[in-house]
Amino acid sequence: MSEIVKTMWKEFSKGLWKELPPFRLVLGLCPVLAVTKTAGNGFGMGCAVIFVLTLSNLTISLVHKLIPSKVRIVCFIVIIATLVVAVELLMQAFAYPLYQRLGIFVPLIVVNCIILGRAEAFASRNPVHLSVADALGMGLGFTLSLTFLGSLREIFGYGTLFGRHCMGSDFQPFTFMVEAPGAFVCLGVILATMNVLTVWIDRRAGLKNDKKRRRQILNPLPLPAADTPKRNRLRS
Amino acid sequence: MANYILKPFISEPKLTVACPPYWHCNKTVTTIMRDFLLALIPAAVMASAQFGFAAARVMALAGAIAVLTEALCLKIMARDVSVDDYSALLTGLLFAFLLSPSAPWWLVTVGSSLSVLLGRVFFGGLGGSPLCAPLVAWAVCKISWPRAMDVDLSMLDSELVYPLGQLKYLGPEVVSHVNHINLLLGKQLGGLGSAQIIGIVLGGLYLILRKHIRPHIPLAFLAGMYITAWIHFLIDPTQYAGPIFHLLAGSAVYGAFFLATDYASSPVGHIPMILFGLIAGVLVIIIRAYSVHPDGVPFAILLANLLTPLLDRIRPKPFGGQKIDLLHP
Repeated sequence: MSEIVKTMWKEFSKGLWKELPPFRLVLGLCPVLAVTKTAGNGFGMGCAVIFVLTLSNLTISLVHKLIPSKVRIVCFIVIIATLVVAVELLMQAFAYPLYQRLGIFVPLIVVNCIILGRAEAFASRNPVHLSVADALGMGLGFTLSLTFLGSLREIFGYGTLFGRHCMGSDFQPFTFMVEAPGAFVCLGVILATMNVLTVWIDRRAGLKNDKKRRRQILNPLPLPAADTPKRNRLRS
Repeated sequence: MANYILKPFISEPKLTVACPPYWHCNKTVTTIMRDFLLALIPAAVMASAQFGFAAARVMALAGAIAVLTEALCLKIMARDVSVDDYSALLTGLLFAFLLSPSAPWWLVTVGSSLSVLLGRVFFGGLGGSPLCAPLVAWAVCKISWPRAMDVDLSMLDSELVYPLGQLKYLGPEVVSHVNHINLLLGKQLGGLGSAQIIGIVLGGLYLILRKHIRPHIPLAFLAGMYITAWIHFLIDPTQYAGPIFHLLAGSAVYGAFFLATDYASSPVGHIPMILFGLIAGVLVIIIRAYSVHPDGVPFAILLANLLTPLLDRIRPKPFGGQKIDLLHP
């Protein structure tokens, strides 16, 4: 049982950093650049994508054995389009201002590369529980990325965050950030920062492993057990 | 099984035109940038004499922030911090010359750091950017803070006028009696440095004499502007201003000598340079006449910069070269 939980956690957590959809896999950039003018828009779009992605992965991993391989993409699109129409109607009913702000990008979730990509690469080859975990991880990563980029652009471009003014009265909004070129520049800066952070984390992990291995090589006796009291250890 | 790669004896073709020993021609990045800074001095002195301490403040702040940003970025990228080659200082000053003397400190700071970041660092350092770095920052600032970059609005207490603004909003009759000598001496609003026409021309001539820029681009730029403005003036003198006015107003001369001739973003061969200048000059007048912007020089030069790789493909045929038809080999 714990093996299943461990693999589910592994699939879930990879969508949160190592394979973050917009910034690592660089998939689904169209909504990322277009709807992140404000953080609220980004968050709403992300929630819609979580809904569609999870249910589509679930459905596709349940029925993938029934779909002939030559027409699989068409069948995936049918399933995804049904879910997107459902989410569109739900948004129109319960979150109409968000629906008006997102405009045409709600129906465009159908051709979002993340959803089709996870369906083709993962859900059609893996069991249900792993597909759902993967979908939840990717969806959550997507939402967090959209919200982060949206907040960055909103704070510098409008001076507000989720609609509330937060930059003081003397702030002159940097309108470039909420225009299209500013979105690209922001995306590039975030990609560069993530690359630098990954290199730094790997180097620190590498250094830690190096230190441990060096101690093991230089000291042929085994290291003292972790539960011996500290004063009884000759060296720690 | 290991595959051994046999390295050829000569690894890449080297173009050598004389045999050693060689003598260094003393042209390094530092000496070239120093000459560019010397060429900017006449305009800077005229600007400080006319606008006082405000102009000097803008230029100093822009230069300092540019150098600081470049030093920081090079440090972060773990590269050799080579700000002592004055190239960042030059970029900051070139950007400062486009601002109005009463530009607020945050505008100068953000614009100057963007000219180094967006114009140089993001493209890989000096010489990597396909666009002229000060103009990139100018364009970003113009669309972000149109009111702060508006020359008329930021200098309301001055008696000088912005000739292109008057042309755009009040018509050519108002500017038909403007004294060209006054425009030459810099008695106009505009960028603090780009309004000092005589200073810019002196600096540009110095650079051409020292062979740091070729005369092709400035002459072609001004010729393109003159011809297009003259054609418009012939068609309808009541709607378009005269060609000399267009040459002397705004940052036309500054763009011709300092911005269009930026090394990394302008073409190299003779004919590409002439075409580049002509295209940019024609675009300036078109933007000035038909668009909502009073001055079209920055946008025209940026558009022409995008055409540089295409223009650079115009080359003479090499001796013995043959045309290869890739479609029908």
